[in-house]
Amino acid sequence: MKEFTVRVFRFDPEYDEKPHFQTYSVQVSEGARVLHVLHAIHDEHDPTLSYRYCCASGQCGSCAVRVNGEPVLACMEEARDGMTVEPLDLPVTKDLVVDLEPYIASLHPLVPAPEFRMPTPGEVEELKPLRSCIECLACVSACPALKVIDFAGPTAMRQELRLQLDPRDQQDRVTEAVGEGLFTCTSCQACWKVCPKDIQIPGKAIEKLRALANKKGLTLPRHQDVAKLVKDTGRSVVRTETTFLEVLEPYGEVKGTVGFFVGCMYNLRLPQTALDAMEVLRRNGIRVIIPKEQVCCGSPLIRTGQIDFLDTIKRRNIDAFVFRNIDTVLTMCAGCGSTLKHDYKTPFKIMDINEVLTKYGIEPPARLPLKATYHDPCHLLRGQGIKIQPRELITQVVDLIEMPAICCGSGGGVKSGVPDEAAALGEKRREEINRTGADIVISSCPFCEYHIREHTDKPVKNVTTLLLEGYREKDRRAKEQKSC
Amino acid sequence: MRSDDVLLCHVLVIGSGGAGVRAAIEASQYGETLLVSKTIAGKGGCTTMAEGGYNAVLRESDSCDVHFEDTMKGGAYLNDNELVQILVKEAPERMNDLLRWGAVFDVTTECEVAQRPFGGQRFPRTCYAGDRTGHEMMMTLVDRLDSTGVGVHNEITIIDLLKDGDTVCGAAALDRKGELVLIKADSTVVATGGGTKVYDISTNSSSGTGDGYAIGYRAGAELIDMEQIQFHPTGAVYPYDARGRLVTEAVRGEGGVLKNSLGERFMSAYDPERMELSTRDVVARAIATEILEGKGTPHGGVYLDVTHLPRSQIEARLPVMLEQFLKFGVDIRTEPMEVAPTAHHIMGGLRITPQCETTIPGLYACGEVTGGVHGANRLGGNALADTQVFGKRAGEAAGKAGTRQVCIDNAQVDTIRSTLDNYLKGDTNPSHVIRSLQTAMWEGAGIFRTAPDLEKALGIISHLSTIRLKAASPENLAECCIVRNMLLTASLIVRGALLRKESRGAHVRKDVTQAWDPSSSPYRHTYLSESREGIEKEVRE
Repeated sequence: MKEFTVRVFRFDPEYDEKPHFQTYSVQVSEGARVLHVLHAIHDEHDPTLSYRYCCASGQCGSCAVRVNGEPVLACMEEARDGMTVEPLDLPVTKDLVVDLEPYIASLHPLVPAPEFRMPTPGEVEELKPLRSCIECLACVSACPALKVIDFAGPTAMRQELRLQLDPRDQQDRVTEAVGEGLFTCTSCQACWKVCPKDIQIPGKAIEKLRALANKKGLTLPRHQDVAKLVKDTGRSVVRTETTFLEVLEPYGEVKGTVGFFVGCMYNLRLPQTALDAMEVLRRNGIRVIIPKEQVCCGSPLIRTGQIDFLDTIKRRNIDAFVFRNIDTVLTMCAGCGSTLKHDYKTPFKIMDINEVLTKYGIEPPARLPLKATYHDPCHLLRGQGIKIQPRELITQVVDLIEMPAICCGSGGGVKSGVPDEAAALGEKRREEINRTGADIVISSCPFCEYHIREHTDKPVKNVTTLLLEGYREKDRRAKEQKSC
Repeated sequence: MRSDDVLLCHVLVIGSGGAGVRAAIEASQYGETLLVSKTIAGKGGCTTMAEGGYNAVLRESDSCDVHFEDTMKGGAYLNDNELVQILVKEAPERMNDLLRWGAVFDVTTECEVAQRPFGGQRFPRTCYAGDRTGHEMMMTLVDRLDSTGVGVHNEITIIDLLKDGDTVCGAAALDRKGELVLIKADSTVVATGGGTKVYDISTNSSSGTGDGYAIGYRAGAELIDMEQIQFHPTGAVYPYDARGRLVTEAVRGEGGVLKNSLGERFMSAYDPERMELSTRDVVARAIATEILEGKGTPHGGVYLDVTHLPRSQIEARLPVMLEQFLKFGVDIRTEPMEVAPTAHHIMGGLRITPQCETTIPGLYACGEVTGGVHGANRLGGNALADTQVFGKRAGEAAGKAGTRQVCIDNAQVDTIRSTLDNYLKGDTNPSHVIRSLQTAMWEGAGIFRTAPDLEKALGIISHLSTIRLKAASPENLAECCIVRNMLLTASLIVRGALLRKESRGAHVRKDVTQAWDPSSSPYRHTYLSESREGIEKEVRE
């Protein structure tokens, strides 16, 4: 037996004005789950603690709660000393019990078609991953979009595709899904990352529904414009800045060579940021090759379901690097990086710039007297699992104050297609930024940087720009010392 | 009690597992139907946790006669012939219902439902959806339920059946806040599932507390074969607080082997012909014996090993097992599992006719809460089929039954109220009573039984039943009612076990030597009700 001290959310809407946390110390066995801690509280300390559970083996979806902010199944998540247990972000009935019923009731049932046909093995294989949902609503709790706009939510989209793909259902589920906010998903991946059944809702349900919607001519007009632009120019945005494309040799000893996949945003909209990054790479011994033939990665097409000429684009990009014998391709756009890593089969390795710089190690920059907060780009944090590396870099220059990692609203075609939603999510970021009291906001994604700039009065900078400023300050101080 | 405080319906269904939801779907065709669940419909009960599969004769090369014989033999011939005939004949039809309503079962390349071998069956007739078959069925059934007019009342705990004279006329329940709710019905269907939560080690969900046996018994219904408890051979042993969690028979169906700590494939000593796919009673006793003889693993189980199977087969056919064990730190693709027997299913229960009528008017029953279908040992894959076959029959019979001129008995309601008031004035934490009960049952009425041990368990249960349970708040009243039901269910199990002075199927009396095998046993059902108890004698021509 061991003793755990935990904080538990308590709230009875009938009697309490507001929620409070209560701390308990309980005895549990080795390997105990969060549920066993709740049992221990209920059985030995406070029988009035309300929590819901049923199968206790991860199959019924009754017991989802948030542990240290992350939605988990209480019966499967290992308990930790010092953890905080809260209800899901849904209307609280009492303590850890939330009202699941209205949402579950809103999921559409299958309406049998008059003619019965057994699904084929192929159809069954497609349906099975969509069927493993246990309706715990962890995804609904985590989804930022449905908090600011009318969106049926992640698992509702999963259910729509499940029905659409089943030959026994007779209704048009694609049009239904569009009406329920199919295009409001920012593809932030939060739903997938919290799903206890690992259902990849954005990639395996929402993007597939969007592709089906595209076939029905239901793609949003703004998204169609982007697709046309990629088809005509190879790029997803119109050039507003002069571009740069060449081979860059480092200043000193060569530690490594990478091919740089620039991406539309850094190539045509925010080239200065990319140039800052090149400067940091050169200073740290990284030789950079930038093939001119590269085009848009295709992410804006995939996220919006417009995949007709995707294969051509992929071929062009892969060839551009393969012909130069490049074995490592560097991305600094989180969206491009995630797309190349997950939607491509590349003969070369893909590394985000944060990975490259922390792998080779960087020359220490000077510290700047600033407090910064960091916005985790969805496609970097959840899309590529990159969390520590940017923090390792940032903290070499400034003090870092954390804020919760929530989507800013710029992804998934939402900024162009559903601008009101993007703005609402951006405003939520403003609140979080202000709460940190930071002087500047750091991120590592052109979409996030571009979008958050519209929703804060603090300067928004890329990680590499911050590093470069640290180097410039270092050089200035060195020069000052010399002149003294 | 004013009349507008009473919910009225034609059919009241208690329980939201596979049997209850199937019954409600069927009953809704005949009149106003209410489904009351102490959990959330679709999430509660044990159907959604059932992993392995659903037995149905679907192929030319199989036959209902063989399924019948397998079931009778597996059940040590204690099953009711007629109920088993119905089970095997209607299981395929009910499977078709599920398919029409959208169930996604695994299929063959010919687009037929795929089947796999399960213990004690001579044909691979277990249909499956990976190892989440029950979940697939529940998703489908709840989908269908939503398309009917059934009124679903979630998180309402039925605490007693209401009676007008000899006739059941509805039920009394508690809502989440502990308020009393009365429901009046022409017909009431009990589909509350099993009750092996009365044991220290059990596979059951939180709802497996035996409420149906207890409320049925208190209402005067007769129960049979309550001593017949299936100990599933393979329950998880680690982590300790999650002990008993089901490790599906599908693991052995897919080719998993059992080994003791010496690395011996010990089933060859117990059933060399069927090995790991022997019936559950045999495998459970074999594992228990190995552990008792000191050949257990560090956590007190034996090894269940699938590491010789292709990774792809494990990933495709046993995804839930893979995921669960990974969460607990074991990769079953490369390491063996540790397993030990766990209380799983109650074969006995309310005595029913083929129309699912109990022995009292107005009360129907289906699913695990009934007795007679599975005899002395249930075959894996027959429970899910049971829920659908008898769920439909119960819903249909209850629905077709006429309206009744019945009144709620105020005196009975007053008694219920005073019981509840006493809980608010009680002094003992119900959780502590549960723990004492579970330990007593595991020690006294487990896999191997003797009269002295059973008497001792009964003594402990009687003592626990005199304790004044305390409800810390009105919301805790339902817990007290459930503990009372657990105590009653446990006592029925022990009384049945004392009545059956033979070893048969899952029930093993080490203190009895007998000269017969199951097929020539002089005994039939044990029976228990408020008015009589005993054991039936076999009448042979």
